[in-house]
Amino acid sequence: MNFKLGTTIVLLIAGLLVACGPLWAHHGNSAYDEEHWITISGTVTEFVWANPHCQIFMDAKDDKGAVVNWSIESQSPGILRRNSWTRNSVKAGEQIAVTLAPARNGAPVGFSGGKDGKIVFPDGHILKMDQR
Amino acid sequence: MRSRQIYSIVALMVASAAALAFPNVARPQTAQQQPASSPASKHDLTGVWQLQGIGGAESFAPEADMPPMTPWAKARFDAAKPGYGSRAAPGGNDPILQCDPIGFPRIMFMPTPLEFVQASGRLLQFWEREHEWRSIWTDGRKLPDDPDPSWFGYAIGHWENDTFVVESTGFNDKTWLGPAGYPHSDALRVTERYRRADHDTLLYSITVTDPKAYTKPVASPQRIFKLRPGAEIEELPCVWSEENEFTQRIREPAAHKPPK
Repeated sequence: MNFKLGTTIVLLIAGLLVACGPLWAHHGNSAYDEEHWITISGTVTEFVWANPHCQIFMDAKDDKGAVVNWSIESQSPGILRRNSWTRNSVKAGEQIAVTLAPARNGAPVGFSGGKDGKIVFPDGHILKMDQR
Repeated sequence: MRSRQIYSIVALMVASAAALAFPNVARPQTAQQQPASSPASKHDLTGVWQLQGIGGAESFAPEADMPPMTPWAKARFDAAKPGYGSRAAPGGNDPILQCDPIGFPRIMFMPTPLEFVQASGRLLQFWEREHEWRSIWTDGRKLPDDPDPSWFGYAIGHWENDTFVVESTGFNDKTWLGPAGYPHSDALRVTERYRRADHDTLLYSITVTDPKAYTKPVASPQRIFKLRPGAEIEELPCVWSEENEFTQRIREPAAHKPPK
């Protein structure tokens, strides 16, 4: 019994050392223009940790200086957890820069997943969600 | 108690040393424990697998490959208002938008992982999407002759050399085959083939036979699943209140046509 247990532990540790390659599947929602990613900077107003996709809401100034509240689709809590996020990864009041695929219809809505999407924080750390 | 702990630790150290010294003797040939690209364990699909290269917008076959529909199926297809594909439009009626079970086989094409667990007499599949699961019976039983309808069907499997072949039946007609709105009937019968090309790669093909809906069987292009060592299945339930909020705050604003 212990022989098997010891073997299992050694092999589990070995298994953890096997790197997982990048896995990215194209987000299929045609509402977003994934050919033209943009980066917007602003202040987080709300972070919703919920299925089917977590959501970030943030105030950002448009090119005329007016404040617009953006709605940003991210990924499911499960996918975010596999990308090292927690429910506290984004907080209201934080300044962030989000790279997103904007809605084709021009509404202040975007998708920040995929291989190009990312959130950059003032201290330089970056959160992505490209590992499904 | 303490002496037992010490005994266990010593035993673990001895066992670990033995495993390293005699790897061929000590290592069981199970799925997660082999290095990448080594030969696959025969007849073992255990592990967390990830479908490659497609998102939630695709289904088992491209729209162009779908065979002619029967009048029954065409009427259903025309009534479907999908959120994806060439007929996508806001205000759709995809059943999953109201949290109907996504059902089989559509759930096989989700971009979230699924886990295979081999048990006595059956293979279990657990999907992160919806936190759902099914049994594939491998104890030699036959498919029921007149199954009651269900969302995930009734499945049996057997090995043909290195390929795990699964037959399933007993589906209701409430789910779509995929997000583009292709229907199926309660006569749906599905054949799947799982073959490990190598330790980390699972080749998957699926054929749908449904004479009430399609004039001939539909075969998918071959799909690829990759093993994800260390990944765990999380929960991804469809919760009506959350789904509704997401639709109002994200889906609809992103999908409406811009004002002219």
